[in-house]
Amino acid sequence: MFASLISISLALALLQVALVSRDDGDLARRLRQRDADAMRELYDRYGRLVYSLILRIVRNSAAAEDLVQETFLRIWNRMQAFDQERGALGPWVLAVARNRAIDYLRSTDARMSAGALELDHLEHPGRFCDFEDRALSLDRAQRLKGAFEKLTPQQKTVVELAYYEGLSQAEMAERMQQPLGTVKTWVRSALKVLREQLAEAAAV
Amino acid sequence: MTCNDLRDSYELYSLGLLDDEEKREIEAHLERNCAICQKHLKDALAVNALMLSQTPEVVPPSRLRRRVLASVGMERAGWGWVAAVVAACSLIVTLWISLEKRTADRQITELRGMLRQGNVGEHVILDFLNQPETRQASFGQGQPTPPRGNFFLNPRMGVLLIASNLPALPAGKTYEMWVIPKGGAPSPAGRFRPGPEGTATHILTGAVDSNVTLAVTVEPESGSPAPTSSVLFAAGF
Repeated sequence: MFASLISISLALALLQVALVSRDDGDLARRLRQRDADAMRELYDRYGRLVYSLILRIVRNSAAAEDLVQETFLRIWNRMQAFDQERGALGPWVLAVARNRAIDYLRSTDARMSAGALELDHLEHPGRFCDFEDRALSLDRAQRLKGAFEKLTPQQKTVVELAYYEGLSQAEMAERMQQPLGTVKTWVRSALKVLREQLAEAAAV
Repeated sequence: MTCNDLRDSYELYSLGLLDDEEKREIEAHLERNCAICQKHLKDALAVNALMLSQTPEVVPPSRLRRRVLASVGMERAGWGWVAAVVAACSLIVTLWISLEKRTADRQITELRGMLRQGNVGEHVILDFLNQPETRQASFGQGQPTPPRGNFFLNPRMGVLLIASNLPALPAGKTYEMWVIPKGGAPSPAGRFRPGPEGTATHILTGAVDSNVTLAVTVEPESGSPAPTSSVLFAAGF
């Protein structure tokens, strides 16, 4: 138990470095200036996390490598729109990575068609700024993990289907053979639990 | 709906999972720059980022770093070892020349061929990608054994192709790129060969219509004036 707590703490410590860093602004500024070392630094900081996330979603290492490349290329090409003063690189990079992977999943199982454009709109770099000071803190990450573990099996399933398979609530209902209303209740109650845990962390 | 009625929808909205009606409702609120909705959005983005970061860690292959940096023009993907091999081979070739000139000549030709496989310079790629009018079209997503990658089109500069997962070519064949104007016939846009890892960069320089389809086929080594095989991959602009 103790060992597992240590490993979780270590993982979360790494996570905190990955998601929020004091020098995000400096790194963003250098990326905007097309500084080669900055791109290497960006990959060294987020490459493992991005690969892990994408591989979890697509479950195919060759496709994951392609999508990691696409992710970083997209970040590089859109850097000029990122707010170097107020932006948080980690959440943006993760959103781009997740969207590339979900887009790939959707294209492989012929689900939906307009989604690529929609995801494109949702990952605009201008959105990933002005986070509250402790929004991405270690404490909140720990609480979120703890809260997720306490969800019911159905709640965990719908959360994973949303984040890692990109299923809408209607698609989840179909996959789980459950009424849409029931699925919506599971989704919203699960997200509410997660959100409230974070709010408690912020209030401490 | 009030701002608070939408409180439970921002995570799904940010993940692109709301139906059209709910999405429009949220976007209408966000467009009003309502402080409450903006806060809900930021909170949701933080929840999403923290959730996504809980992924168990997997170490990526080291070649991926080179490949990523190469795609933005920083390094040449997977060519570090090739350079070493080429350097070693060059030494062998030099020695061999003194013994068997004919054989050595053939080897030198092969080595030059290898070096030509990655013949789009880093500065060219970088310059191309940095232009604001450069547009990108991906191909290969969703295919069972996909060549994957991107075409980049700049109406003033031309077309840049970055591809991976390319099948090895049969003897006597090469890849050929085509520019296909709307309603027009394909025109040849240069030949290229993949590297040993199935990756390739290829560039067509010069002005290009901005409303074209780009395609690649397998052709005889000397090239073709028109495609003679089915399209391996394509993307439209």
